[in-house]
Amino acid sequence: MTGPENIRLSGGFMVLLRALGHAIRHHRLSTIGFFIILFLVATAAFAPLLAPYEPYEQDLYNVLSGPSAAHWLGTDNVGRDLLSRFLYGGRVSLLLGLVSTLLAAAIGVSLGLLAGFKGGLIDAAIMRVVDAILCFPFLVFLLAMAAALGGGLINLGVALVLFGWVFFARIVRGQVLLVRELPYVEAARAAGASSARLMWRHILPNTLAPVIVAITLGIGNAILAESAISFLGLGVQPPTASWGKELKSGFDNLELAPLYSIVPGILITLSVLACNFLGDGLRDALDPRLRGEERR
Amino acid sequence: MGRFIAIRLMHALIVLFIVIVLVFLVTRLIPGDAFLVAVAASGVEVDSAKTVKVLEEFYGLNKPFYEQFLIWLVNFVSGDWGESIGTGGDVLEMFLDRCPITLQLFFWATLWQFLIGIPAGVISALKRNSRTDMAITTGALIGFAIPPFWQAIVMIYLFAVLLPIFPPSGYVSFAEDPMGNVMSMALPSMVLGTSGAALLARYVRSSLLEVMSQDFVRTARAKGLGERAVVTLHAMKPAMIPVVTVVGLIWAGLLGGSFILEFVFALPGLGRMTVDAIYQRDFPVIQAMLIIVSLNVLFMNFIVDVLYAYLDPRVRLR
Repeated sequence: MTGPENIRLSGGFMVLLRALGHAIRHHRLSTIGFFIILFLVATAAFAPLLAPYEPYEQDLYNVLSGPSAAHWLGTDNVGRDLLSRFLYGGRVSLLLGLVSTLLAAAIGVSLGLLAGFKGGLIDAAIMRVVDAILCFPFLVFLLAMAAALGGGLINLGVALVLFGWVFFARIVRGQVLLVRELPYVEAARAAGASSARLMWRHILPNTLAPVIVAITLGIGNAILAESAISFLGLGVQPPTASWGKELKSGFDNLELAPLYSIVPGILITLSVLACNFLGDGLRDALDPRLRGEERR
Repeated sequence: MGRFIAIRLMHALIVLFIVIVLVFLVTRLIPGDAFLVAVAASGVEVDSAKTVKVLEEFYGLNKPFYEQFLIWLVNFVSGDWGESIGTGGDVLEMFLDRCPITLQLFFWATLWQFLIGIPAGVISALKRNSRTDMAITTGALIGFAIPPFWQAIVMIYLFAVLLPIFPPSGYVSFAEDPMGNVMSMALPSMVLGTSGAALLARYVRSSLLEVMSQDFVRTARAKGLGERAVVTLHAMKPAMIPVVTVVGLIWAGLLGGSFILEFVFALPGLGRMTVDAIYQRDFPVIQAMLIIVSLNVLFMNFIVDVLYAYLDPRVRLR
């Protein structure tokens, strides 16, 4: 294992892969998490091949029918095949979770790096905004943004990024403050490295481990948030399917078709759980102090 | 200690100011549409452009930005929270009307959290790596990942539709029917308390495990104390200190969770009021609720910080 002092960004990627491998091999829960994620991503990616029907194909003679050979999970209130809707819905939920978290990470890491490295007024300004945003519970913030920007998939994504960056900024700033004073940074500075080079080449790679963990957990949170906001009708709009939206339509028909709301809920829980499992495993694998300790 | 409190208070006030500015800016994005919606909903045939202008004047939206901000801030502090665009009611009165319902929900959810979360965490730590520990740890992970509204749906289906023990939704006031009140709160508060209970269990477990490996616990064992006495007399108290820090998190979770659960269970509390206001883009209500919610979190975090410093002197000296 390379020491953390001399990895570069490309090296950081290798470290990540190795940590992932370590987590999957040695951490039982993250093995489970990894395969659940693999399964859900595969079903979403190959939805057009796997789905028995078109997700928008209506059959008004066959409304809210229970599970049958033709429709494994039954049909919705306008006769669309539920299995197909859930498969396509997974694309929306997972992609939104992934993209918004990565964008939030990019913004948060940059601002956190800046705050930690520059200090002073820049640091104070960025961190007070972070504190202010953290005064809002996640859901309340997203609802407020839905009110201000309007509902819809894109606006929900924007709101997720506007909230999510805060966590990354906090983590990276804390890491930078730790790393900044280490002898190797001082050596690089003495060798004449510019601020930008110090930040990107020397400090950033050593702050990435907790960021990777936070991305994994963040994707889970974003999926949960998407489902909550879409459930309230302020996220993904019809006729597009997402797990949260299907859950709401299912709730409206709870007594007639319980599977309609139960299955998307299981899918959401599974994906969030899988992200959390994998995040925990990665945290242990990336933190050498925890390695070799209790393996769950 | 006084210096510590003063610094934290200053910090909280600065953050509060930024929060207020943010809320003001965000809610200023809302109007316009809200008036058009209200005018259309009223069903009265009017020149809508003209009406919107009159309404904007009435709500003070034609004044310069900083002036609007100052007027609004002064009014808000002096208890004039404006009028709802949707219902025309006084926002402060609406808030005070709905408050007791949400507080009841919080009360039961908190009780539930502590009754489940703390014992689960203690048992899990004491029986580390056993089957019971596995079950509790996994249960906590699941409790944290389940979308609360889905859990609510499953509970409604199981305990209100299949086995009709509890009412599926709706609110009964305590004065009207005490038993009915408790029954109507049971399902929503259980669901609302789940993620907090899971969080508590995880924190209590790791905190107690850390304390149990300390020297003074070994000393207590070495002098011949029974395991029960070691845990209750020596380990529990220091183990509970870091747990205090999650109370702020849990409180924020309750506030967020109640927004969606009051919607699912049709409880006419603050959360339901806010979600309705968001549908109608009723910005005076949204504005007031955002301030209240963030003030709550800020206040809770302040209390937690001070309490933590009081309980653990090392924090004060840093």
